[in-house]
Amino acid sequence: MKKQWEQVQGIYIHIPFCMQKCLYCDFASFAGKNDLMHQYAVALANEIRRRAAEMPVSERATLYFGGGTPSLLPIDDLKIIINALKETELWREPAEVTMEMNPGTVDFAKLCQYREMGIDRVSFGVQSLNDEELKIIGRLHTASEALMAIEQASKAGFERISADLIFGLPTQTLATFKDNLATIVDSDISHLSVYGLTVEEGTPLAAMLANGSLVLPSEEEAEMMYDHTISYLEEQGLCRYEISNFARSGQESLHNLVYWRYLPYFGFGSSACSYNGKQRMSNVADIESYIRGAAPTIEKLPARTSLAEFMFLGLRTTEGINLSIAKERFGVEVMSMFGQEIEKYINREMLSFDRAANNLKLTKLGMKFGNEIFELFL
Amino acid sequence: MSQELIRNFSIIAHIDHGKSTLADRLIESTGTLSKREMEEQVLDQLDLERERGITIKAQAVRISYDAKDGKTYMLNLIDTPGHVDFTYEVSRALAACEGALLVVDASQGIEAQTLANVYLALEHDLEIIPVINKIDLPSADPEKVKKEIEEVIGIDASEAVFTSAKTGFGIEEVLEEIVKKVPPPQGDKTKPLKALVFDSKFDAYKGVVLYIRVVDGEIRKGMSIKMMATGKVFEVTEVGVFKPDLVNVDVLEVGQVGFFAAAIKNVKDARVGDTVTDNKNPANAPLPGYRKATPMVYCGLYPVENSDYDNLRDALEKLQLNDASLVFEPETSLALGFGFRCGFLGLLHMDVIKERLEREYGLTLITTAPNVIYQVFLTDGNVEMIDNPALFPDPTVIDHVEEPYVRATIIAPKEYVGQVMELSQEKRGEYENMTYVDDNRVMIHYSLPLSEIIYDYFDRLKSATRGYASLDYELHGYRPSSLVKVDILLNGEPVDALSAIVHRESAQRRGRQLVEKLRGLIPRQMFEIPVQAAIGNKVIARETVRAMRKDVLAKCYGGDISRKRKLLEKQKEGKKRMKQVGSVELPQEAFMAILKMD
Repeated sequence: MKKQWEQVQGIYIHIPFCMQKCLYCDFASFAGKNDLMHQYAVALANEIRRRAAEMPVSERATLYFGGGTPSLLPIDDLKIIINALKETELWREPAEVTMEMNPGTVDFAKLCQYREMGIDRVSFGVQSLNDEELKIIGRLHTASEALMAIEQASKAGFERISADLIFGLPTQTLATFKDNLATIVDSDISHLSVYGLTVEEGTPLAAMLANGSLVLPSEEEAEMMYDHTISYLEEQGLCRYEISNFARSGQESLHNLVYWRYLPYFGFGSSACSYNGKQRMSNVADIESYIRGAAPTIEKLPARTSLAEFMFLGLRTTEGINLSIAKERFGVEVMSMFGQEIEKYINREMLSFDRAANNLKLTKLGMKFGNEIFELFL
Repeated sequence: MSQELIRNFSIIAHIDHGKSTLADRLIESTGTLSKREMEEQVLDQLDLERERGITIKAQAVRISYDAKDGKTYMLNLIDTPGHVDFTYEVSRALAACEGALLVVDASQGIEAQTLANVYLALEHDLEIIPVINKIDLPSADPEKVKKEIEEVIGIDASEAVFTSAKTGFGIEEVLEEIVKKVPPPQGDKTKPLKALVFDSKFDAYKGVVLYIRVVDGEIRKGMSIKMMATGKVFEVTEVGVFKPDLVNVDVLEVGQVGFFAAAIKNVKDARVGDTVTDNKNPANAPLPGYRKATPMVYCGLYPVENSDYDNLRDALEKLQLNDASLVFEPETSLALGFGFRCGFLGLLHMDVIKERLEREYGLTLITTAPNVIYQVFLTDGNVEMIDNPALFPDPTVIDHVEEPYVRATIIAPKEYVGQVMELSQEKRGEYENMTYVDDNRVMIHYSLPLSEIIYDYFDRLKSATRGYASLDYELHGYRPSSLVKVDILLNGEPVDALSAIVHRESAQRRGRQLVEKLRGLIPRQMFEIPVQAAIGNKVIARETVRAMRKDVLAKCYGGDISRKRKLLEKQKEGKKRMKQVGSVELPQEAFMAILKMD
């Protein structure tokens, strides 16, 4: 029997098209290139066929259509990709098939089609349920459209619905954020990702903040939003299972857990990454180059780097890290290598160690200041 | 070789006026080195010297020149350090010569540093040959510079040579002038050996190599020699000349410049300025002018990693082999742990040593802010020399304190006189006098506390005069001053390495500036950090480093693991230079904050 980390456990499909790029976005997504969708789907199907045999794939491997806005892709083009996945037996008995969608790009009929095609989980980029906030960050949908999309997804038979929210948006206050959170929890979602706004260099948002045309909430306010998120969602029965992710019991994103558990995954499409346990391979981000077949870049991951990544990814989850697995995978006794430093953070109540289970995890405080601990292992 | 055919000379120039390029052309045009062998600026040997365009160690080269009179001359060029930190070394190098080329940039004119060295050369009765360089520049005004040389220095510049070291123009003429004007060395070959040490360096195989000028007698291999200042006796193992690589010869005769080695293990036994004599037939008196190098500026050097302490000591010992003016002794700081208090000739010397420790020995260091030595007169009649602010005695036992003053020479365009005087006044300077260098520039003399020069005087002078002023200074004794110690407290705990000695009148302002500066430099941590300045028990300023509210990467999925890892790596790298002081991490800049406040 193969170990979990000797098989691909998750498959990511990247659909880079967007109607419009959001002000804060620095992902590999592109607006105004929709005429390339068909060619892109064909190129992606070819990549799947070419690479499917690179590594053994678990029968239960999760699938995830991310973007960009995968729901922008015409159904026929989506089928080209899904056929390739099935033909190559990468799609057999997937434990989960997720598609990211933007409210406003889907209707009831389309949702039903997705459901029929075997997609069983949707992740909506809701971001905010305040129209003013949505407009400022360049989202094309309104709050009511977002709630409507969730409702329709539920009607279309989706039992696993997730939404993304962002806190710390320009003009946002603790009150508007609390409203956002309460409203979304009352909807049919069973999973929530809540991120603090990250201002990435080179984005229009960064420029607008620099020239003063937009202002962010203070750090203290942003901290209150963060604290409120953690306590409120807990109260509402959405358990935190990763720094920014919350789910009702059994509703965790299995696909994302593959990343955090540092298990092998395939990534297909422009800018997608694959990890096989020894190296990470990244496809080119530019859509045209990808279609032309430009070569991916490969990053070799020496044992020391792998261990570091294993640690800082695993510590993002509330389940933490089983150090016996670290030993088995990387041949390193974490406690003898980092024991002194770990001890320091245990004393500061940022890490907790369960000796019997040989399990290390961040405390609630540790999660808030995770970077300091993640650095340790680099 | 006949004494009549020897010419010993050096080159005096302000930084960037073309000294090294000129030296290169002289060497190249006489065929001492072929073009292929010429590396840019052969005489500056340390990487650092090349990068910074400065000379730190004196260098020498022997040039053979076929002059127009049909004779072949032996020219010895002694290149001198060009910085105020090394004035004593320059004076010894000049003492080994009979002449000097005064190189002045044809568009810039005379600068304070040039002037100081010309005066040194005149003190040693050197024949000065004015060379006006960079005449190829469009802005060149050689006639004006000529006039300036005559008026300011008071030497005849009518026969000044116009050159462009860059293009090679005028080089031949410079060589002819050297032969014609620089007198051959005097000295008596029948007298007992007397040789002046003008530099030394450590060689792993030869031991200390001494750079000498033979004043009387001769030195040859096998001779037993005595160092007259230290009284130490050695047997000469090698004698040679600079071409510019070391080439062995049998003997160095009277008037000649060269080197010798004598299995000397420590540069302390071969001090610059000492006189070498024949142990069996010693000279009755040494050459004049010797003095022991005394550090003017002190700072603490601490390894960021405590485990590097031994490596730091080893590295300092190795550098000291080559540099008798570097002094250090172990010290302990409550904040920084084990380290060394090091003494330097000046700020440049300090920078160079620090950079070499980091570059050549791979150490990561924390440097405390440099300070001068204070003479503290205690009420019980004792006098303490304080080279570390942390050790400044309690005010109740101090009778009074004296600090070192310098006599500063500032040359600046006349329209900046007001700014220069205002600045100097602010820096507790005492005006001495002012004279005109030419129609446009003035020379101002001030008496200033050395501590103000170390602090920010030169930077401020440069900005007040838009870069046009030049500065030189010499130590001018100690004077009483009203000084107090300002302590810095982080989280209520004093950090000894951040203490500073300041003038009482500016203590309040400096304390306030310092805590403000520190607030900006100390990275935010999970808790709030009060930063206070205090004199004795009295807090004079307070700021707070606000707590960090949260610090965690919000998102991390499959595609951006590498990017996030690199982000964390970068963040970690930034912390490497930090020193944990109590519960607070301090970056190197925090220790230098006292120097950089505006």
